[in-house]
Amino acid sequence: MTTKATYMYAITRPVLPGELNGLRGVSGAPVRMIEDGDVACLVSTVDLAEFGEEALPNNLEDLGWLERTARQHDEVVQAGARITTTMPLRLATICTDDNSAQERLHRFGGRALAVLADLDGREEWGVKVLASPDRSAPGVPVGDDISGTAYLLRRRQQLARSDNAAVAASRDADAVYSRLAEHAVAGRRHRPQDRRLTGAAQPMVLNAAFLVERTRVGQFRSVVAELMSERPPESITLTGPWAPYSFAAMEET
Amino acid sequence: MTAVAEKSAATPATSLVDLLDRLLGAGVVLSGDVTISLAGVDLVTVKLRALVMSVREAQP
Repeated sequence: MTTKATYMYAITRPVLPGELNGLRGVSGAPVRMIEDGDVACLVSTVDLAEFGEEALPNNLEDLGWLERTARQHDEVVQAGARITTTMPLRLATICTDDNSAQERLHRFGGRALAVLADLDGREEWGVKVLASPDRSAPGVPVGDDISGTAYLLRRRQQLARSDNAAVAASRDADAVYSRLAEHAVAGRRHRPQDRRLTGAAQPMVLNAAFLVERTRVGQFRSVVAELMSERPPESITLTGPWAPYSFAAMEET
Repeated sequence: MTAVAEKSAATPATSLVDLLDRLLGAGVVLSGDVTISLAGVDLVTVKLRALVMSVREAQP
């Protein structure tokens, strides 16, 4: 019964072995490269006691473990992206052994090369937009002097206003997205983050990722700066550059 | 036009959320014999539960 497995971080073009010197992955294990023709995969050896089918679901529930593993995974992906074009794999993509990882790589090789070509010279930027505060929404007054009918009328108006605000926020998100998409090669909308996680007073209306030509990043950022200047402070956040996580999707068929 | 002053993640928790958006919600999906990446939906649920708990604990 084997106790080890092969953790896969990213698919890249083959790199010189020396370029990975000193690079450590999850659990501090050294990162290696598995090659198959024109493509390669960055991997390291992991313990099934930590990454096996039984242990993994529990570990994913442990925030400390999840954060540590996510950051170690990202460090390897970023290191790969500094050397060559890199297609990140999802967190905790694990094969039984190096042979199994190589078979997988072989099966994906052709399509992976096509995706790598699409990612050459490009990087990912994230843009998050919070809804603008609704200034025209007084609460329904509560008092003895208001009749049931008047209360219902006001309550109905208030609900209509909040519907309008939701429509406006969604339109605003679409507008920001379209404007930035003009300066990007591709865009993708992630699910807006839960307000309990952002800690912000306003809900998030846009959580987008854009794939931007490195040579056009300055222009992209200028447009973000313009959008920032047009709306309340802190309602737009720019993150990046990221490895192209949001644009490496390649489902197995 | 001056460069945008980049807002580095407001709190470690939010930048972790940005990272997990990408690590769990995107990226190449390889399935196979013992590829243990769980279905995306399951992981998102796990992530939210773990993070929401931590955010709550951090509040006074």
